[in-house]
Amino acid sequence: MEAVKNAFDFGDMPRSELGLAAAALAFLLWFPAMPHSSFGMATMIQFLMFSLYGMGWNLIGGYGGQVDLGKAQYVGIGAYTTAVMMIRWDVPFWFSMPVGMALAVGYSFIIGYPLFRLKGHYFAIATIATSLVLKDLFEVWDFVGGARGLELPLKGDFPNWLYLQFREDYYYYYILLGMLLVGLIYMNGFRHSRLGYQLRAIKDNEHVARSLGIDVHWSKIKAYAMATAYVAMVGSFHACYNFNIEPEDTMSLDLSVLIAMMAMLGGAGSMWGPIIGAAILVPMKNYLGSWLGGQAGFAGMDLAMYGLIIMIIAAAQPRGVYGIVEAMRARRR
Amino acid sequence: MALLQVDKVTKRFGGLVANHEVSFQVGQNEVVGLIGPNGAGKTTLFNCIAGFHQVTSGSVVFDEQDITALSDFQVARLGLARTFQIFQASGDLKVVENVMVGSFMRTSSRGAARRAALEAMDFLGIADTAGEMMTELPVAAQKRVALATALAGDPKLLLLDEVGAGLNPSEIDGLIELLQRIHGERGVALLLTEHVLEMVMKLSHRVIVLESGRKIAEGEPAQVVKDPEVVRAYLGDHYVKRQKENGDA
Repeated sequence: MEAVKNAFDFGDMPRSELGLAAAALAFLLWFPAMPHSSFGMATMIQFLMFSLYGMGWNLIGGYGGQVDLGKAQYVGIGAYTTAVMMIRWDVPFWFSMPVGMALAVGYSFIIGYPLFRLKGHYFAIATIATSLVLKDLFEVWDFVGGARGLELPLKGDFPNWLYLQFREDYYYYYILLGMLLVGLIYMNGFRHSRLGYQLRAIKDNEHVARSLGIDVHWSKIKAYAMATAYVAMVGSFHACYNFNIEPEDTMSLDLSVLIAMMAMLGGAGSMWGPIIGAAILVPMKNYLGSWLGGQAGFAGMDLAMYGLIIMIIAAAQPRGVYGIVEAMRARRR
Repeated sequence: MALLQVDKVTKRFGGLVANHEVSFQVGQNEVVGLIGPNGAGKTTLFNCIAGFHQVTSGSVVFDEQDITALSDFQVARLGLARTFQIFQASGDLKVVENVMVGSFMRTSSRGAARRAALEAMDFLGIADTAGEMMTELPVAAQKRVALATALAGDPKLLLLDEVGAGLNPSEIDGLIELLQRIHGERGVALLLTEHVLEMVMKLSHRVIVLESGRKIAEGEPAQVVKDPEVVRAYLGDHYVKRQKENGDA
């Protein structure tokens, strides 16, 4: 019961922050009713997806301080579970999504156990390695379509809520928005849980954490598993939304890095950080990236720009955009 | 039965013997000081007791349980708390949340953890800093927060490693009074290492002296400082020889 109360307890957040969050939510709820292009809608859907990916990353990377560059492997597990179950056994999304989450969490326990024997840069490199190995495996595994990937069958009967197939994008949009709200409330509960506090103590100093009776290794594995659940959930959604998945777009290093980058840009270790990061980087990627690549003839220039932004943030304010906001608030006091 | 029994503990790092067959006890509700010159192996001994290092040989028994092979976090859960020489300030957590991490060792409820944390902070006179960030506090207050965090886990024995380091004389007086209250009112046994000898002398019922990893003396504070072995360890052979010559003359 206390866990539920903790999840809905926003009392430790400044009023101004909650006001802004409410305004943002109102905007997100209204957005489909406003005039927008289909590209704009696709961008918003990507923004919501990356917000959730980033929140998952933030759980272990931000609160726990364990820089994880292999989140894409869990996108892949979620996406492939949903796709395979729908193609082979006709299983609806709402059943395959929890299965995908469970598989991803189970897998995360198996690789988390050895991964968290490593620290710092070694941990980050190892997460990249596990993710790439899984991707390579999927590329040669015929059962899941190999490198060509899988195409989801059209079920017809639109709007099809069971299999998450819609003609209009706003259905997908609202489902994702619902997931984001559930994810936020769960994250708020996590912040206030024993593990949430212990994880932040681990990030500060592992020796001190251990002296306070915290099983550091096990705590990291648990948090990693929770982070995994977020990512796999959206991975399942991704399969239905895209109708077509392949190892390259669900498990690539690019995706892992983008997830980590958004959370870090917005503010690692803060509740709103990943959302802020996604709100900045996803539109930039879509609009600036396509303009630079298409009209201006500077393909790949957008990647250089992210690099620059990340360097500036890392040098000026390691806690990201949210850190800048916090610093300004502290100065005003 | 003593609360803590250290029996012939030896700790080697490769060829270096940091502790050699050190044995001593800490009784229920006793205050024991552990002194010795730099490099005598005090911190290593602490780390062996707290489970941070595994001993090379010997045994450690705490509260009638053999803890020699346990990990540091398991030892902590049995009620053996410790403070560190350097206390890491948190960028993410408020002071009270830091202390709550200590109380979460005994409860999983946020409300109960918060109450225990505030109670410990109130006991140490830092309840007014609850809402601040650790980085905003002066060193003396940070040390109190570290003590409150350890106390919030309701320990039976507290290992204090150089808790007076970096404090000025008046702050040290405050700390001595605080430790006396932790011991007197909460019944927590203390084992402390300290460079500030005055503090050890005032607080300890018994003092153990280490030199080069070996125990060279044990006894009441006033007697131990007169022990020629101890004087030699602290001030060197040369000093003892000159003292003798002066005495003879």
